[in-house]
Amino acid sequence: MIRAPLSTTSVLDEATDVVALTASPWAAVLVATAIPYRLMLALFVDRLFEIGSRANEYGHFLGTTANLTIAAFVLAIFGRSVYARACRLALARGTSPGREAWRVPRVALASHLLTASLAAVMTWLTLFTLIGPAVATVISGLGAGTMELNERAAVRGAFKLVFRYAKQTAIPIALSLIFVVAFAVSFVNVASALSLITWLVTAIGGFDAPHWNLLFSGENRRYILLLLAGATVVLEPFWVAAFVVLVRKAGAEENGDDLRVWFDEVRRSEA
Amino acid sequence: MPNPKTCSVHAQRPAFAVCMTCAKTLCQECATQWDGIWHCASCLGAKRAVTVKHSAAAGWISIAAATALLLYFSARLMVWTGALIAGLF
Repeated sequence: MIRAPLSTTSVLDEATDVVALTASPWAAVLVATAIPYRLMLALFVDRLFEIGSRANEYGHFLGTTANLTIAAFVLAIFGRSVYARACRLALARGTSPGREAWRVPRVALASHLLTASLAAVMTWLTLFTLIGPAVATVISGLGAGTMELNERAAVRGAFKLVFRYAKQTAIPIALSLIFVVAFAVSFVNVASALSLITWLVTAIGGFDAPHWNLLFSGENRRYILLLLAGATVVLEPFWVAAFVVLVRKAGAEENGDDLRVWFDEVRRSEA
Repeated sequence: MPNPKTCSVHAQRPAFAVCMTCAKTLCQECATQWDGIWHCASCLGAKRAVTVKHSAAAGWISIAAATALLLYFSARLMVWTGALIAGLF
């Protein structure tokens, strides 16, 4: 499915096709496993707002929520691994992948969990800086993209692969910036969809519209947190697919696969 | 009983070394030196298989330990950073 040289636009273009091929049912697997993690994160932030400056007194309470969030994170990484494999299979064959997408190699899963855990630590450690979480997001994406390139379980090997592909600095940075804008668009879309549903449901008798309008307003903190979680979940299939395509295209450039495809196309057009 | 002066694999070739594991006599082609010790192909293969098995197990242990450690720190950092941010408001 590699059609054009490595560039940000070609990565996004091919990622859109991959998402279309893997939408059913693999994007649903990704979304279903990501929802508990995003909701737990929203719950954690909500509890922080609730407790406020007394947070130091509620260490155990916050710790329990954090542990549950990490458990949901492990499930989310499993779903992301299945989806990344489905994306890779779709890229290789140009067709929608079958049940083999479930068979994620153990080494790939372990390597992905390791790199994603490092990204999570980096995110929380550098939350006060803007650049830290952005770098962590790129590492996490490259971890999903490179997971199947790991041939054996090794800590150094998993990180070496991620940093090898991170050398194409310009494209991961450009992708991150595009996804920041896409997140804003996704947020507005999810909010609009919810408003539209509420408006349509008012036609049903017995529906307490004013009450729901109050809940679905910008003044409700929990609604905003749910919108943020929803926007992230909606965007995640595109984000994973973009990094899988990026790694595949960068790898194809290294081993000459892109040239082979290009020569094939030239020969076909001349014939 | 193999002739100690010829290779145990190639009877027509003169012996060059003795495998330190199975004590077979070996010609130049059959003998491989590893860590300064001569080995025959089958003994070296067996040693390599054991090494690969050990390194695979070590790899799995290290990756599991590193992941568990990172997940533990991730949960603790969530609480510390969260409490710090909440304290600001």
